Amino acid sequence: MLIGLLFAILAGILVGLQNIFNTRVNDHAGTWSTTALVLGLGFLASMTLGVVFEGTELFVLKNMETWFWFSGLIGVGVVVCLVQGTRLLGPTFAISIVLTSQLGSALMWDSLGLFGLEKIPFTSQQLIGVLVIIGGVIVFKFGGSRAEQRKVTKVVKHTLKQSASVER
Amino acid sequence: MKGIVFAFLAGAFITLQGVANARISQNIGSWQAATITQLTGFIAAVLIVVIVKDQKWKQFKKVRPIYLTGGSFAAVVIYGNIYGIHSIGVTLTIAVILISQLAITFLIDGKGWFGVLKKEMKVPQFIGIAMMIAGVVILKF
Repeated sequence: MLIGLLFAILAGILVGLQNIFNTRVNDHAGTWSTTALVLGLGFLASMTLGVVFEGTELFVLKNMETWFWFSGLIGVGVVVCLVQGTRLLGPTFAISIVLTSQLGSALMWDSLGLFGLEKIPFTSQQLIGVLVIIGGVIVFKFGGSRAEQRKVTKVVKHTLKQSASVER
Repeated sequence: MKGIVFAFLAGAFITLQGVANARISQNIGSWQAATITQLTGFIAAVLIVVIVKDQKWKQFKKVRPIYLTGGSFAAVVIYGNIYGIHSIGVTLTIAVILISQLAITFLIDGKGWFGVLKKEMKVPQFIGIAMMIAGVVILKF
């Protein structure tokens, strides 16, 4: 269990770094070129690490099912929805909803136990845990931004007053 | 409203991606799952680049080389995600990834690393992270 936790922590750190790096690429190259680059490099890195840890076993694909070949398309869906959501709502609001929906659907998958995953029965304790995390996300994302807005309005008001008095 | 639907679907897809990878890895292995899903995603993205006649990849040379390498992190991200889902479940894995992701972003923002516009660390963000960790503790113990 501890290794699982450590892997999740490491994954989160790398996702955070990756987001920052990818945004830099995105600033210059736009959504689709960036997505292609990111997935291409991810593919090469996975193949390399796979060969390092498993040798040529990596290329032995027994028990392959047809839909496995199409699961990569989910990633394209993620990019489209993220870009559109952020464009329409702005990053703070959009990301808060994304994170909430991620957690909500995770809880759903655990309680359904489909796809051969171990079923983790839904309990009120789990629901409370997820709600507290979502509350934390909202405080994290929206906290402080209002204070900033107030500061901005103050500055704007101040400048308006000044310019008004100059006009007078 | 349309924006909310898109954002909601994005989150659902991210989780679905993890679940699908975890399922695929049961049949063919974790590195294999990471390799195949990203290969097919890459092919789809290249097709889109070609179809929309996107020429912007020519701008890659304007980006600092280190930022171009971000995609390669996904190998470890996907492996960690699969390992987590199998050993601690979907909810806990996603929650821990979120917290560590927000915490590192918060740290980078606060320090102004990687050319990020330096933002002052504020109390609400600490409270937010504390609440998220409390939520994980409630979830698990």
